[in-house]
Amino acid sequence: MPSSQTPSLAGTASDPTSLRPPIADAQIERIDPTQLRERLIALKAAGMTVLLDIGAVDYPERIPRFDVVYHLLALPAKIASVAEVGAPRRVRLLVGVTADATVVPSVTDLWPCADWAEREVFDLFGIRFDGHPDLRRIQMPDDWVGHPLRKDYPLRGPAREKTPRPSFPLKSNVGAGTPPGGKVAAALQAQIARAQKPEEPA
Amino acid sequence: MSATSTPAVAGVPLDVVKRSPNSMTLSMGPQHPSTHGVLQVLVEVAGETIERAEMEIGYLHTGIEKSAENLFWTQAATVIERMDYLSPPSNALCYVLAVEQLLGLTDRIPERAKQIRILMCELSRIASHCVWLGTHGIDLGAITTFFYAFDVREDVLDLLEASGGARMHPNYLRIGGTNGDLPEGFLGKLDVLIEKFPGRMRDLRLLLQNNPIWRDRTIDIGILSPQDCIEWGLTGPILRASGIQYDVRKAFPYCGYETYDFDVPTRTEGDAYARFLVRLDEMDEAMHIVRQVRKRLDTPGAVMVDDPKVAAPAKETIALSMEALIHHFKIVSESFRVPPGDVYQPVEGPRGEIAYYLVSNGDNRPYRVRTRPPSMYNLQALKKMAVGGLIADMVVMIGSLDPVFGEVDR
Repeated sequence: MPSSQTPSLAGTASDPTSLRPPIADAQIERIDPTQLRERLIALKAAGMTVLLDIGAVDYPERIPRFDVVYHLLALPAKIASVAEVGAPRRVRLLVGVTADATVVPSVTDLWPCADWAEREVFDLFGIRFDGHPDLRRIQMPDDWVGHPLRKDYPLRGPAREKTPRPSFPLKSNVGAGTPPGGKVAAALQAQIARAQKPEEPA
Repeated sequence: MSATSTPAVAGVPLDVVKRSPNSMTLSMGPQHPSTHGVLQVLVEVAGETIERAEMEIGYLHTGIEKSAENLFWTQAATVIERMDYLSPPSNALCYVLAVEQLLGLTDRIPERAKQIRILMCELSRIASHCVWLGTHGIDLGAITTFFYAFDVREDVLDLLEASGGARMHPNYLRIGGTNGDLPEGFLGKLDVLIEKFPGRMRDLRLLLQNNPIWRDRTIDIGILSPQDCIEWGLTGPILRASGIQYDVRKAFPYCGYETYDFDVPTRTEGDAYARFLVRLDEMDEAMHIVRQVRKRLDTPGAVMVDDPKVAAPAKETIALSMEALIHHFKIVSESFRVPPGDVYQPVEGPRGEIAYYLVSNGDNRPYRVRTRPPSMYNLQALKKMAVGGLIADMVVMIGSLDPVFGEVDR
């Protein structure tokens, strides 16, 4: 099934993965979420038995917006010598996920270790995994709002952005949270008090 | 009759239908001393047998990945060392190797820098296994081990302190090499440790290896088959204790490991005792590598790549050379730009395959820093390992997995 998203990916400056030089020891594929399970089942049958990691990257200006990244490793399921593992192979699958349908099929039935990895991607990026038995937040508290690793999520968290900021220039360390003293503190406190006071009807 | 369902404990919906009639739920942690950090395990037990174990992690989440994405390439290494706080050089090495790949510097790193990097990583592997052995011993009631193990660890931390100035997070490995050469007197101290180490290892082995209580508590506890290990994505000593001889240092050599002679200790039993033996053997192998590095370190050489855009100039040259002053100013004030691309770099840490998936968009800050945390995948296997075991063995199983929560939660 040809994807309508594919053309916008190739060679754009907002997609660093398209500018990567070829890497010798790993096979890198970019596929559509609809083909993901099929491809992973085929790779697992072909000897890519270990699911090393599931991560994600957010490219806000790109279509599709997110990349979910699967890392697989070929490892024989028996007592192997170092020489046998000698020609190991890695596969990296990049799965583009659009911002309006942030759903990827879950692989927890193929690899139980995908459980926490998928929960983490859901927690920090807001990408849902269809078929995951227990898709809850894992790192952030259960009642957290927002997905912190998205690029549009403020670094200091949403609550901190609402802290009243002085409108006049201050020494940089005051803005960074060091308790101010003297006149600066008085001015800052007056401003905070003004900001917190409910508006009086005229 | 919605009131009949059991309320969720700490957000974990416990499936009341599947529970057997005589089971009860125990909450272990997050403040339990044997969880090696802040881990909550919700255990369903029937009598003393574990029927199911669910874990709650994230108590130590500090957003290191997000922080690293908002720092310069050079600064990000500092927060990255805080992930696996028992072996900071392994994390740092993985990160700097990944950045060097993006910069195309991999082949230009001086030999001496590579040797020092390997020295630091192997020393911290010993220190990390010492912490594991000491705390694992305390969990099982063998407190003497702790003092013997931490004595060796203190010697290693002294060396780390001499190298980078800090005991725990020296930030000594830098993009392009190391932060200066080894200080004067370092090699003498290292020789003392090399001399003393075999005796210390003999003490540790004498204390535990044939100790009947230790053997009773660990043999046939927490067995993982090779198939389980592969399905649960386990790496490191746990995988090797189950009979799969996979070591990143051998399979995907990096930083010159292919030029050293060392074995990959492997056992086939897959229980807590096998993991104990594998880690002890790994400490011996690590010291074997350290001895080889020590011999090579007699040859002096450069420790930083010869590229003024990446390597900060030596302090003495700044007062004498205009170019050095400019380069120093540029590197400190705005770091350097890294060509766009993505890279996955694995290294063998004390707990398994640490890896960084880095994306650069050509800026002076990393665009994405994704860690593959070995502890997280290893710890997850407790769900499989604990079923059918006894509640009294729970601490043995957690201890044998050797989780570090700085890395699990990041």
